Amino acid sequence: MEAGIRGWGAYIPKFRVSATEIATLWGYDVKLPKALGVVEKAVAEEDEDAVTMGWYAARVALKRAGVSGEDIDAVFFGTESKPYAVKPSATIVADALGVKRRKLSTDLEFACRAAGEGIRISIGLVKGGLAQNTLVIGSDTAQANPGDLLDFTASSGAVAFVIGNPSKSPAAIEASVSYVTDTPDFWRRDRSPYPEHGEIFTGEPAYFHHILSAAKLLLDETGLKPSDFDYAVFHQPNGKFPLQVARALGIPQEKVLPGLVTPYIGNTYNASALLGLAKILEEAKPGNRILVVTFGSGAGSDAFSIVVGDSIYEVVSRGPKVSDMISSRVSIPYGVYAKFRGLYLRNIGG
Amino acid sequence: MKLSPSQFWRIRESQYRLIITECGSCGRKSVFKRSVCPFCGSSNVKHVESEGFGKVLDVTKVMYRWNSSDERPPLLVGVVELDEGVRVVGEIVGVGDNEEVKEGTRVEAVLRRYASDDPYGVIYYGIKFKPIKTA
Ligand SMILES: [Zn+2]
Repeated sequence: MEAGIRGWGAYIPKFRVSATEIATLWGYDVKLPKALGVVEKAVAEEDEDAVTMGWYAARVALKRAGVSGEDIDAVFFGTESKPYAVKPSATIVADALGVKRRKLSTDLEFACRAAGEGIRISIGLVKGGLAQNTLVIGSDTAQANPGDLLDFTASSGAVAFVIGNPSKSPAAIEASVSYVTDTPDFWRRDRSPYPEHGEIFTGEPAYFHHILSAAKLLLDETGLKPSDFDYAVFHQPNGKFPLQVARALGIPQEKVLPGLVTPYIGNTYNASALLGLAKILEEAKPGNRILVVTFGSGAGSDAFSIVVGDSIYEVVSRGPKVSDMISSRVSIPYGVYAKFRGLYLRNIGG
Repeated sequence: MKLSPSQFWRIRESQYRLIITECGSCGRKSVFKRSVCPFCGSSNVKHVESEGFGKVLDVTKVMYRWNSSDERPPLLVGVVELDEGVRVVGEIVGVGDNEEVKEGTRVEAVLRRYASDDPYGVIYYGIKFKPIKTA
């Protein structure tokens, strides 16, 4: 065992804008949302950002783990929508949670997979004895150029994990591996408000190549077969790609659907696959094995094999569940979404 | 609305966390981290963090606009009684158009933006409340 997930927490804003409304507003075929596999996306309020959502998820993760801020030796904040271009988000969340001052603390950026890399760094720290527990947060208020295809999915949400001693954990990470190349499938230049993407280039050479490569490395190194896994969860830029990547690996759809959250809340970027993992942990049984593969543009993937332990039910009960956050929803029109996310150009401070 | 980074920084612990001061002399609890009990003046106090749950005692809708553009009425401001027994005033967020916040509504503490010196200044975070379940 490399390390364990001692606790986890999630946050999904309750406000949702419908993909059908986005299609109608921007002149897309109304059948497009179905093709993308998205129904609606979660929208953070005006006073929310990656820090506030990450704080909520992290607070729940500490509670589930049964540890306090004093027990955390490192805080990693994975985001591509940090409130400050320069000034760490991790320090704000750490102080607001009462994490001790003697710690490592930094923001990580790798499009949608920075939090995945944060977990891998944490495994190293825990295994190497440099940290008893680390806090890894993935949180994004994803931006999309209004009317772009990304507008259908770019949403808001957060997830957090306390990584520590596997013997104290309700889920152990038995193996992990990363696969990274230089691939320009999606990017945002400095001072650009919205990301650009390489259109069709985002599929085969980016998403599929990196996820499949990381998954195959994990299987080769562990000797595990796809059939050894009870659940599989992949990065979820839309509702279709994760099912296609599962098919390519020979993993049946019913093992993927429990962790597929994007159709209901959109793509929460750094939360995405890991939010799906949080949901699976809340539904899994002791002994279940979970395959997790993140993806971040630019591009890279982290693959994890996670085995659920006996204390899972008790730890689940200590915090709010992802499935309840998904079903607790209030519809808002696109105009309110635009107001909440600051898409209107206004004179400030007049 | 321009705030002072240094003033905010000094009080950030009380903005970020619901710290309760428990008096070892008179036994009463007060909100915020205080070195002296506000009821009896004793310095025999200890500090505990609230679990962050409570109920609304009263709520009002604030329509006042500080200036032409940078505030966002209506704001809901409530008096919340925390489960630890102390009362605190705070903004109530996460309320949909057809949802009602009233006396007795269960709420939990959340970290939100209080203000930010837009477009390039400091962002000020602090505790607000959101309904746990609204009817
Ligand atoms: Zn007293």
